[in-house]
Amino acid sequence: MTDTSSDWPSDWLRATLGFLALRALAAGPSYGYAIIGDLETHGFGTIKGGTLYPLLTRYETAGLVVTEWRAGDGGPGRKYFALTDHGREELARLSEHWQSFADTSIRYLDPERPSKETQT
Amino acid sequence: MISTGTDKKWFDEFVLELRLQQVYGSAIGDAVASARELLADTGQSAQEAFGSARDYAASLDLPRAPRFEWVRQALWPTMVSLLALLLFTQAAAAWTQSEPFLVSPAQLILLAAPVFIVAALPLYLAALVRHVWVVVVLVVACGLSGLLSSIVAPTTAADAWLALDPLPWLIGCSVVMVALAIVQTVRSRRPGSNDEIINPLGDPTVDSGRGARLALVLTNWIFPVLALVMLGFVSLFR
Repeated sequence: MTDTSSDWPSDWLRATLGFLALRALAAGPSYGYAIIGDLETHGFGTIKGGTLYPLLTRYETAGLVVTEWRAGDGGPGRKYFALTDHGREELARLSEHWQSFADTSIRYLDPERPSKETQT
Repeated sequence: MISTGTDKKWFDEFVLELRLQQVYGSAIGDAVASARELLADTGQSAQEAFGSARDYAASLDLPRAPRFEWVRQALWPTMVSLLALLLFTQAAAAWTQSEPFLVSPAQLILLAAPVFIVAALPLYLAALVRHVWVVVVLVVACGLSGLLSSIVAPTTAADAWLALDPLPWLIGCSVVMVALAIVQTVRSRRPGSNDEIINPLGDPTVDSGRGARLALVLTNWIFPVLALVMLGFVSLFR
């Protein structure tokens, strides 16, 4: 986990949380708290339920995830979210696009890049 | 998890906001259970985890009934029953005194006021639920229109616009109220018609026992019951 997690601008998280949440489900079905924990462990800070659940609900409506309630062992029941085939395709597509965008941004931000090429 | 008092208020408001959006009971139960699950896991308060109940409810894209479905299902029968009750009361007063049912235009307009107030409910339902003063204003308006309609009621046939035989109106209004109560009772007994809030793990989160069923029957029959009370009242003071 990185120490910079809580410093990410909220705009960045808003833009990326969708496919990050899909990625958190790539290994198999998971539930709200575990998804939040996974994102926190990987350096994205603590995502609030009020941010995550509306996103997952929209994905369920869009057919990217399906849900299933499972009774807890002595604890609360848990709502598990699982990727559908459509969700996996969308995750792959968005990951590829993000990779391309991030590469483009990194190249552009490179201080070694000759600045003249932007001038006309 | 046992909800704190603050969380209970938050969840009450959350359910109310989802109801105002016409979200189905099963979807409300699911959203409530999801929120409770996360609170149990994190130990956070509902406000801390989800922000305001109103904003959180608005951010969820949950399955809901067509926007004005409740108008057809509940509002129109209520409005027609209310009109029948108002006419019944006026006709009952005349009938118990063996007099004609005298009607003036001003009286009819004042009698129609509560009906219009109910008819316009879709326009201000959210305000009605969120602000007590709106309820007070409407109750006072309905009370005043009732009082004024009694004051402007014609006392002689010469002053009246219409002089009617009260008995057919009494019978007609009674038939309308009883028929609508039967329709609403039959409709509410259909499986799934009450749109209960269902806990996705099994138990209903609302009381669907004898008390709730009795309350539902009373709600469906409130207009015929009120009509009987009014008939008794005017008979007593004739």
